[in-house]
Amino acid sequence: MLHSGKQPKGISYAKYGYLFSIPFIVAFLIFSLYPTIFTAVIGFTDFKGVATTTFHFLKDPFANFVGILNNATFQNSLKNTLIIWIINFIPQIGLALLLTAWFTSRSRKIRGQGAFKVMFYLPNIITAATVAILFSAIFGYPVGPVNDILISLHLTDKPFDFSTDPWAAKLVVAFIQFWMWYGYTTIILISGVLGINPELFESAEIDGATSRQTFFKITLPCMRTILLFTLITSLIGGLNMFDIPKLYIWNGGPANETMTTSVFIYTQAFSGTYMYNRAAAASMIMFLIIAVLSVFVFYMMRDKYESRQKKALRQQKRALRKAEKEATI
Amino acid sequence: MKKVISVVLCLTMLMGLFIGFGSASAEASKGVINLYSFTDEVPKMVTKYLELHPDFGYTVNPTIIATTDGLYQPALDQALAAGGADAPDMYCAESAFVLKYTQGDMASYAAPYADLGIDVAGETKAADIAQYTMDIGTRPADSALVALGYQATGGAMIYRRSIAKDVWGTDDPTEIAAKVGPGWDNFFKAAADLKAKGYGIVSGDGDIWHAVENSSEKGWIVDGKLYIDPNREAFLDLSKQLKDNGYSNDTKDWTDAWYADMQGIGTQPIFSFFGPAWLINYVMAGNSGGTKVGEGTYGDWAVCSSPIGFFWGGTWVLANTNADADKKAAVGKLIDWITLQTDENSLQYMWANGTLNGEGGTKDTVASGTVMAKSDGKLDFLGGQNMFDVFVPANQFANGKNLTQYDETINNLWRDQVRQYTAGNCTRDEAIANFKQAVTDTLGIEAAE
Repeated sequence: MLHSGKQPKGISYAKYGYLFSIPFIVAFLIFSLYPTIFTAVIGFTDFKGVATTTFHFLKDPFANFVGILNNATFQNSLKNTLIIWIINFIPQIGLALLLTAWFTSRSRKIRGQGAFKVMFYLPNIITAATVAILFSAIFGYPVGPVNDILISLHLTDKPFDFSTDPWAAKLVVAFIQFWMWYGYTTIILISGVLGINPELFESAEIDGATSRQTFFKITLPCMRTILLFTLITSLIGGLNMFDIPKLYIWNGGPANETMTTSVFIYTQAFSGTYMYNRAAAASMIMFLIIAVLSVFVFYMMRDKYESRQKKALRQQKRALRKAEKEATI
Repeated sequence: MKKVISVVLCLTMLMGLFIGFGSASAEASKGVINLYSFTDEVPKMVTKYLELHPDFGYTVNPTIIATTDGLYQPALDQALAAGGADAPDMYCAESAFVLKYTQGDMASYAAPYADLGIDVAGETKAADIAQYTMDIGTRPADSALVALGYQATGGAMIYRRSIAKDVWGTDDPTEIAAKVGPGWDNFFKAAADLKAKGYGIVSGDGDIWHAVENSSEKGWIVDGKLYIDPNREAFLDLSKQLKDNGYSNDTKDWTDAWYADMQGIGTQPIFSFFGPAWLINYVMAGNSGGTKVGEGTYGDWAVCSSPIGFFWGGTWVLANTNADADKKAAVGKLIDWITLQTDENSLQYMWANGTLNGEGGTKDTVASGTVMAKSDGKLDFLGGQNMFDVFVPANQFANGKNLTQYDETINNLWRDQVRQYTAGNCTRDEAIANFKQAVTDTLGIEAAE
């Protein structure tokens, strides 16, 4: 070691690291950790009513949780959330993969990629409130652009009420979510593909793989981590879906048919009777559901080959130790 | 050098974090009055007051949050509960939720008008304020008057003259009132007459809802339980009748299709709308497709008494009891000018005669009978009819007896279910059961047996 013995005069960057992280940590403690813990606590209390400031723990600490799980509107909102998420996510990931395959294809170069990416991403930049108003105008009843088109094409003879029919409303909300987020997903997936070592594609090409084979045998398996990221973020975002269902039709209407769990939690806590305790209990239940589903996704997406190898390695080690022990005796 | 830069950067970040907590009001005034409102009406009035009284001394900081999507109440409630320098000193409440602030959960925040330096008994008598306005604004706990409105919102039927002539050969308000009313039976008879000539009587079921709502004996909540008044339950059938017979265009109020019917460009021409004077001036005039007689439907309208008397809307003004005494006195002056004074420079006089922003402005009915008696309600939009002739008697139908503090939420849940029923998505019994379930689940209010 050249400098051993006498430390060179330099700057220890560690303390600046701590200094720089102070604002984040302070903000996190005040605005994120404290509210989370507070929410977890008031789920067990009788904290409700807008003018109340004091609260007590309930004799039966899980009364709010039981109440929420038995609440028909909560069950309905959970069902809606899952339905809307699934009918938005499957086409979304499908289209995103298709666009990714096209945009990263080595055999055909698509011109104006930048322009396309901007256009796909654009819906994501518009605020949800604007999008909600835009779509309620587009699907207006009895007069509105979509109804006008349907009638002039003679697909229906009288206007269809998109905002009263339960399934139409769900489909529109799911479509808005799809339309707002497919661009984001596409961009993430494209960046995932661009991160794959090009030598893999080259050697596949030399070996005579078709583009279909390359996509399914090389691109997809190499994108495991990025797909996992997309799935998890979309799962969390989808189950917390709030703005569009809240704004598209009043508070998850018609008749609570597009009410998601987040809208339900909001209405419990802030509209009408201010049942903070029940809203907190519902939030915690959603937290558990999302955590369990995320663990499940992680488990499903694990590298099966790697985990099998790890397991084999562990078994080998154990056998070795056993053999050593026996040998020493 | 690097050290200096990093220290400076750190300090900047820390300052960025805390700068938000600093206060920025260093103006040479006695203080700031925070005003919460759901439209720009009251803030504009206050601006006018400051113009007329340059020596007022306080600056006013308005916060406007629309009631659409139910966002105003949560914001106001939290601002009141949080208190401090940013708490609202003066705030507005609409008839759909005013009871929460005068008699319900939030009533403890309201300051009695007497504490604001207002001679309540003397001034309300001199201004001849309608009894319902005072009933709604009185806190039962201490019988103190805590809120008053500046409008009177008795409702009438606002109809198209040309359609009336085509169907019945006359557009005279008294004769038309006798054709379409009184009562729902006559209303539907008239609807059939109109339908025969290819007209709808109203735009959607939202138009008759307010008449139904206010003709009920009791409100949504009786003794802490959900109660469905028979008159309100009948809305299911009225609404179904309108839709099945094609008597309406099946629009929802406050949507593009509803506005289109005011211009007469909907699926079928629409004969009438139900509303108070404010609906004419603030909604219909702007959507009639014209600004003077002959353009669009402008000038083709008239008002007659409604088949079922009702009132709809109105803004009440309150003061925060936690403000300091000087500020309360200042807020008191504003409130007095808005709700109780009757001279030619008072808000209500200018409001009734449309002179708040110079001659030729929009006219409206106001709470003070004294002002109404010396005001003139002739409108070009109504073909020169003096609308006060119809609206002043209509105010007798207004009462605060069937309102509850959760009306905004419950009304929305109810009308949602009625729409499901009329669209054929559920049966009548299911609609009622779903409604009860929704109220129990979202408000924690059980249904009465």
